Amino acid sequence: MNAVWSDRPFLVMLASALAVAVLLVVSMVAPFGPSAYLANFIGQLAAFAILALSLDLIWGYLGILSLGHGLFFSIGGYAVAMYLLKHTFEMTGKVPDFMQFMGWSSFPFYWEGFGIFGYALLAAAVVTLLISGLFGYVSFRSRVGGVYFSIITQALVYVAMLLMFRNDTGFGGNNGMTGFGVVFGWPIGERSVVIGMAAVSVLVLASTLITCRALLGSRFGMLMIAARDDETRLRTLGYDTLLLKLAIWCLSALIAALAGMLYVPQVGIINPRLLSPDLSLEIAVWVAIGGRGHLIGAVIGAVLVNSIKFWLSAAAPDVWPFILSGLIVLVAFVFPNGLIDLAKFKFQKTLLSRGLASQSSEVR
Amino acid sequence: MRLFHSLVLALAALALPALPALAADARSELITKFCGDAAAMGEAGRSLIPLAAEGTPGDRLWARAITTALIDRKFICDADGAVVQTPDGGTVDAATQGKRQVAEPSRSPLLNLRNRALFETAEAALALRSAPEAARRAAALRALERQASTLPEQLFEAAISDEADPALRQQISGVAQAAALNSPNIAKRIGAVQRIAAVPNRRALALVTPLTKDTAYAGNADFKRAVDDAQASINRGIAIGDTLAIVYNGLSFASILFMAAIGLSIIFGLMGIINLAQGEFIMLGAYVTWLVQEGLRHVAPALLQWYLIIAVPIAFIVTAAIGIALEASLLRHLYRRPLMSLLATWAVSLFLINLVRVTFGTQNLNFVTPSYVSGGLPLIGDFIFTWNRMFAIAFALATLLATWALIRLTPLGLNIRAVTQNRTMAGCIGIPVRRVDMLAFGLGSGLAGLAGLALAPIYSVNPQMGQNFIIDSFMVVVLGGVGTIIGTVVAALGIGQINVLIEPMWGAVAAKVIVLLMIIGFLQWRPEGLFAVKGGRK
Repeated sequence: MNAVWSDRPFLVMLASALAVAVLLVVSMVAPFGPSAYLANFIGQLAAFAILALSLDLIWGYLGILSLGHGLFFSIGGYAVAMYLLKHTFEMTGKVPDFMQFMGWSSFPFYWEGFGIFGYALLAAAVVTLLISGLFGYVSFRSRVGGVYFSIITQALVYVAMLLMFRNDTGFGGNNGMTGFGVVFGWPIGERSVVIGMAAVSVLVLASTLITCRALLGSRFGMLMIAARDDETRLRTLGYDTLLLKLAIWCLSALIAALAGMLYVPQVGIINPRLLSPDLSLEIAVWVAIGGRGHLIGAVIGAVLVNSIKFWLSAAAPDVWPFILSGLIVLVAFVFPNGLIDLAKFKFQKTLLSRGLASQSSEVR
Repeated sequence: MRLFHSLVLALAALALPALPALAADARSELITKFCGDAAAMGEAGRSLIPLAAEGTPGDRLWARAITTALIDRKFICDADGAVVQTPDGGTVDAATQGKRQVAEPSRSPLLNLRNRALFETAEAALALRSAPEAARRAAALRALERQASTLPEQLFEAAISDEADPALRQQISGVAQAAALNSPNIAKRIGAVQRIAAVPNRRALALVTPLTKDTAYAGNADFKRAVDDAQASINRGIAIGDTLAIVYNGLSFASILFMAAIGLSIIFGLMGIINLAQGEFIMLGAYVTWLVQEGLRHVAPALLQWYLIIAVPIAFIVTAAIGIALEASLLRHLYRRPLMSLLATWAVSLFLINLVRVTFGTQNLNFVTPSYVSGGLPLIGDFIFTWNRMFAIAFALATLLATWALIRLTPLGLNIRAVTQNRTMAGCIGIPVRRVDMLAFGLGSGLAGLAGLALAPIYSVNPQMGQNFIIDSFMVVVLGGVGTIIGTVVAALGIGQINVLIEPMWGAVAAKVIVLLMIIGFLQWRPEGLFAVKGGRK
C-alpha cells in the first residue's frame, strides 16, 4: 500500500466526511443548515458506513466473509439502548416499556451500572471481545474458513435473534427497546442534539477511516493482504496467521459494535430484527456493491444502497427487494470489484499502484 | 335434523302399540317432572339413564323423543300434560303420541346449565341404545366417553349385547371398562382396573389414580394390589410411549432436515457453492404442489386425493428446471468466487420470495389433507403413530434410496462423484465438468422441491417458509461433511433428535443454541465434518 498522501480517492473521501462533520457542528448552533430530519439521515448513513468498513476490513483485506456482523452491531446497539433507558429513568423517572409489559418493578440485576455511559461502552466492548474472541479462536484454530465460516456466522446471528425474541431475557423481547428520552442529560429529540449525534457519527466515521488506513498502511496491513492471497504460504514462512486473523476479527467486531452504538440513539429503537440474517447479508451486499477491498468502496456502498433503500421503501416498498437483487447480480457480473470499477478510468494510475486489492482473485 | 326427528317420532309411533311399555301413569309422572321446577327436572333427567339401560325398546324410543324435544325446546307443557311439536308444524301428546292441539295455558320449559348437561348425557345414553344409525350411536358414545365413570355399567353392557356393528361394539366395551370401575362388585372392579391398565395412556392413569382414594383401596388388599399394579404398568407404558414419541418426532424432523440438506450437500460438495436460495426451492416445491392440487380440483376432482403423489414428478421437474436455469445463467460465472456466489444466491432467494409474495400474496396456502396422511395409529401410551409424519419419513427414505441409487449406480452419479473428488482430473479424462455441474445443480434443486412437497401437508406454506429450514440444513451439511449422503443422513438424524430431545426441557430456542454450540465444538475435533470426502475441494 502506497503512502497516504498519494492515495487521492481516500483523501477526497476523508475530506468530504470531515467537511460534512464541520457543517453539522456549525449548524448545531447556527440557525441555518440541514434540518434535523436530514441530519438524522446523514448520521444513520454514517453509522452504516462504519459498519460496512468493519466488514470490509475482514472480508476485503483478509478474505473472511462474516454473515454475522449484525450480532456485533446489535451488541453495541443493545448496550447503548440500555444506557439510554437507564439514564432516561434516572433523569425523568420514566419506566421502560418492556418492564411495564413484563410487570417488573425494578431493573434486572445485569442492568446495574448501565446508567453510566462509560460503563455501557465498556460492557459493549467486553461482550463483543468475549464473543468474537471465543468464536474467532475456535473457528480459526480449527481452520474453518471460506463458505463454512460464513454460514456458521450466519447461524450465530440467527440463534442470537431467536434468543432476543424471547420476552423474559430482560432485553425487551420482540418489542425491543424504545422510548429513549435523554442522552447525556439533553433531550434526545431536540434539533441540536439530533444534529450533534449526526456530527459525532460522521466524525467517528472519519476517524475509523483514518485508523483503518493507518492499519492497512502498516506492516500489519501487508500481512493481512498476504494472508488473504495465500495463507498457507504465509504460515509456511513462519507467521502465525491465527493471531493475525483473530486480532483483525476482534477489531472488526469492535468497530461494528461502535457503529451499533451510534446507530441506535439516532434511529430511536432497537429490536431483534436487527439480528436477522438478512440484515447481516445486506452489509456484505453494501460492501460488494461499493467495492470490496477498498475502504472508500465500503463507505460508498453503504451510503448509496441505504440512500436508495431509504427512498424506495417509502416510495415503492414492493420494488426495493427486486432492485436490491438486481444490484447484486449487476455487481456480480458487470463490476466484479464493485462500483469502484467505474472509477477505474479516472483513477487508473492510483488503482494500478493499489493493484493488489483489485486484481487478486478471491481466496477460498 | 328435522327429518331425523320425524323419523324417530314415526318409529316411536310404530313401536308403541306392539311392545310392553311403562305404565301410562309412569309416563305421565315423568312428564309432570319434565314440567316441574329445576329440582324435579333434574330428578327426571337422572331417572332417564336407568331407563336407557334397562327400559324396553319402546320406552327408550319414547323417552329419547321427548328428551330431544325438551333439549330443542320443542316440548310444551300445557293444561293437559305436555305436547311435542312435530317437524310438520303440528303437535302430538307427549305421553300417548296421539295428535292433539296445545291446551292453553302453555309454556316451553327451559333447562338450566346443570340440567342441560344431565339431559344431554341422558339423550346420548338413549341414542346409544336406540338410534337407528351407527354413526349417531358412535357420536353418542363419544359424548358419553368423558363421563363414563359416572354412568351405570349396565347401560354399556346392554348396549354391547344389542350392538350390531362389531367395531362400535369394541369401542363401547372400551368405554364400559371405565363404567365398571364403579361397580359394587369388587371382582368386577378389579377386572375393570386390569382391563384399563392393558391400554396404558394418560387417560387410563386419570381413571385409575382416583381409586387410591377409594374406600375399597384401603379396605381390600386384592383391590389395592390391582390398583398399584395397574398404576405401575400404566406409568411404564406412558414412559415407553413418550420415548417413542420423541424418537418418532425426531425422526420426522430429521427427514425434513435431510430432504432440505441433501440437495445443498450435493451442490456444495461439487462446486463449493452454498446455495442460499435452497430454502426458496423448498418453498417453490410446496407452491408447485399447491398448483397441482388446484389444477386437479378443476380438471379431475376425482384425483384430488392423490395430488401429493401426482405432484412428485412435477415438483421435481419444475424446481430442477429453475435450478438449471439459475446455474446456467448466473452461478456458472461465479465458480471461482464462492463468496460472491453466496451473495448472488441470496439475491436469487430475495427475488424468488418477493416474486412469490407479489404473485400469490403472503397468506398461508390451504392444502387438502388426503385420507392417507390424516389420523394415526395409537400405539403405546400417548404415542400416536401419525400418518402425516410417517408420510414425511417414508418420503425421505424413498428420496434417500433414489438419491443413493442415482449417485452410486448411474453414469451421471459416477461423474458427479468424480468431479466432487477432483474437478481438474475429472475434466482431464474427458468428463463434461460443466454439464455435470448443471445437472447436479438441477438435482439438488429438485430434491429441495421434493422437500417442499413433503412439507406441504405438515407445515404452513407461505413465501417465507424456506427461511425456517435453511439455517438448520446448513448445520446439517456442516456437521455431516460436504458431499456425502451418509454424512447428511447421520447429521440430520443427530440434529433432529437433539432438537426434539432438548425442546421439551428448555424450549426451542435453547435447543437451537445448544445445537449450534455443539456443532462449533464438533468442528474443533473434525473440521471437515463427520464424513469428509477424500481428496475433497481444493
